[in-house]
Amino acid sequence: MLEYLTFGLVLQLLVNGILFGTMYGIAAIGLSLIYGTMRIIFLAHGAIIVFFAYICYWLFTLLHIDPYLSLILVIPASLLLGSGFYAGLFKEAAALEDKNISLLIAVGLMYLVEQLMLVVWKANPRSISTIYTAIVFRPLGINIPFTRLIALVMAVLSAFGVLFFLKKTLIGTAVRAASEDMESATLMGINPHWVNVVAFAIGIGLGGIAGVGLATVYSFDPGYGFIFAIKALIALAFGGMGNVFGALLGGILLGLLESLSSFFIGAGWADAITYGVFLLVLTFRPQGLFGGST
Amino acid sequence: MKGADVFYGDAQAVWDVSLYVDEGTIVALLGANGAGKTTLLKTISGIIHPKKGEILFSKRSLAHLRPQEVVDIGISHVPEGRRLFSQLTVLDNLRLGAYPPRARSRFAQSLERAYSLFPVLEARTGQKAGSLSGGEQQMLAIARALMAHPDLLMLDEPSLGLSPIFVRTIFELIKTLNNQKVTILLVEQNIHQALKIAHQAYVLKTGKITMNGSGDELLANQEIQKAYIGERWRNT
Amino acid sequence: MKDKSSIILAVLVLMAFVAIPFLIDVDTSYIGFFLFLSFCYIIISQGWNLVAGYTGQISLCQNAFFGLGAYTTALIWLHDITKTGYYFDPVVMAISGLVPVILAILIGLPLLSRLRGDYFALGTLGVQFIIQVVFLKGGDFTRGADGLHLPSTVFTSMKPYYWAGLFLALFATAVIYFIIRSRIGLALRAIMEDEISAAAHGIHVLKYKIFAFAVGAFLAGISGSLFAYYLFHINPDSVLNLNWLFYPILICVLGGNGTIVGPIIGSFFITALFSLGIVYMAQTHPIVSGVLIILVMKFMPTGLIGLKDKILSRG
Repeated sequence: MLEYLTFGLVLQLLVNGILFGTMYGIAAIGLSLIYGTMRIIFLAHGAIIVFFAYICYWLFTLLHIDPYLSLILVIPASLLLGSGFYAGLFKEAAALEDKNISLLIAVGLMYLVEQLMLVVWKANPRSISTIYTAIVFRPLGINIPFTRLIALVMAVLSAFGVLFFLKKTLIGTAVRAASEDMESATLMGINPHWVNVVAFAIGIGLGGIAGVGLATVYSFDPGYGFIFAIKALIALAFGGMGNVFGALLGGILLGLLESLSSFFIGAGWADAITYGVFLLVLTFRPQGLFGGST
Repeated sequence: MKGADVFYGDAQAVWDVSLYVDEGTIVALLGANGAGKTTLLKTISGIIHPKKGEILFSKRSLAHLRPQEVVDIGISHVPEGRRLFSQLTVLDNLRLGAYPPRARSRFAQSLERAYSLFPVLEARTGQKAGSLSGGEQQMLAIARALMAHPDLLMLDEPSLGLSPIFVRTIFELIKTLNNQKVTILLVEQNIHQALKIAHQAYVLKTGKITMNGSGDELLANQEIQKAYIGERWRNT
Repeated sequence: MKDKSSIILAVLVLMAFVAIPFLIDVDTSYIGFFLFLSFCYIIISQGWNLVAGYTGQISLCQNAFFGLGAYTTALIWLHDITKTGYYFDPVVMAISGLVPVILAILIGLPLLSRLRGDYFALGTLGVQFIIQVVFLKGGDFTRGADGLHLPSTVFTSMKPYYWAGLFLALFATAVIYFIIRSRIGLALRAIMEDEISAAAHGIHVLKYKIFAFAVGAFLAGISGSLFAYYLFHINPDSVLNLNWLFYPILICVLGGNGTIVGPIIGSFFITALFSLGIVYMAQTHPIVSGVLIILVMKFMPTGLIGLKDKILSRG
């Protein structure tokens, strides 16, 4: 096999990794926001992302709305859904000392959404094909599918957007403050529920974007949600909480890891290796490779 | 505006405490560690709720309000250990100080006032709060609380861990603020300095008030003097 | 904790269970399978309960331990390692319990020493990946996705399954009961309440956490082994199934986190729901589970037992 190893091949692997990794990245940013304020690991995120992928799919299949255009619908819907989830499910639990309750609610939600999708939309994988899904750019002999590139662009834009929100707006600053020290934040007059709702809504909003990205890039089925959630969490662990670009980079790192280990060691083992690295990072550098506040 | 009454019976930390703070004065709350001083402040600012008793501020009851509402009424709390947002810049911390609606419209003015009181903050405005020295952090913490334009400012051990020069600065600052019509409730371990500037003082011991009187009265008191001498001894 | 009347109640209930196979034809009636399945769930749930309900660590990998136990049993049987050929060979089951324990200790050491509650849960999630890969890629040894087939049964009746299940469920409950009542149980509860103060009191926090985790793994493994004897065809889909991950959680949560009887009641309730669901609402019953977890956590975090207590204390 090594004789086929050319620079071009390695580059292709790297590019693949980066392109796909950004999707884990967007998901990770959402998770980071939710964890930062509410200190819960929102396990249902993957299922929600797949849910939005389905929405995108159906908007396309039934209403012929272009996936990228559907963002106009998906983003507000996801923000609303996020607020709804918070208000309905997590509000009281977030105030409790025992975070396990919120964790279990998230687990329940994950199970619920996944099973719901399974029942309603069945288990066969779906994917979207439009005129442009087949376009592939080939700079320097490397394949860069158009949709993946757009997904990358979306991810980076979202990251910038979130960063802008966090740094420049008052509410965003409040979110950062609350992530660091919720009690002190309340002493400033910041209402914890507001901060939580905003963080949660944006988190889910990012999930919506990731869902659209997923729909255009990959084929998916209800079961994928669980796997995706775990990977997003791994990406977050790599990048470290509290750091928007860290999360994105964590996702890219994960993508690279998967891409390379899939090729060199074998598709099935990639997951095991990923988990191994994950364990290592958690053990030796729990604050993530890119630091940020713990 | 009338002063604040604090009655409270809480089996956990504080027993049947009654405390009065008159408008425009500096009231000192003294006592050893663990006596319950911080608990009292937290109760007023709404982080904890009293099991029994009432807290009145300008005839309004605070007992069931949440912290963010208490701030909006005009009470600011500078917690023990300052609790700044260390990852955020000085400016961000100040901006957040002016978060409550009553303060937001006056943000520009408040910022001016903060900078004039604490020029060093203006110089370091873009730096992360965590990178400031201890004394500067304390100044930032107080400035931040002031951004909310409080009528009552509660300070929990502002002199803790600061060098003597800074300690003097802080106490002068407190007097200045008081002159500018800010009522102050001061929790301190630094007995001498606190009593010098206080109009009224209370001593708290394991959750109960054991003494109260004017600043001068207590300064002259035997027990206090013994404690003070002990403190002077420790500081030399 | 248990007073005279509870003990009498427990004994009566036990006698009732013992009597069942003589009263009902467990082979043909669905009740036999229902009870057997409940017993399997009781075993794995008691284990999870110890880790989550009594020590406060939510673990999300009990299905991996379950699967390991099932595969171990299947492998030992197939390769005739113990050369006994019985079913429910206690040695085989014990080994099937111990293999997950080894994994638990290996994984537990890094995870439990470094990670708080939610991060720990996160860490355990990935364990499935590894186990799944091991099973799928184990080549001829584990026969990948198709899995292993055990030779068909010597027993044509449900009865032995029932007895074995009942015995093991009892065993699991007893194990948990004795642990809880011992010094270990006290330590675990101290850890759940306030880890730092527990450590300050000289409790070796890590040791106890790993112990609880290992016991949970052991019971999950035994449950897997028991189930393997029933199923004959072991493959990743049937034993690594997410059901074995979520139902124990739901069971403990519904029945009452941190109680001994909770998982038992929960198991029967959930298995009943699951069985009814298969019959009447074939596709949708898993959804109901998800909804249930959410509802229970929101409104009854102490579970059915907690509800009973609340009702009793009002009266």
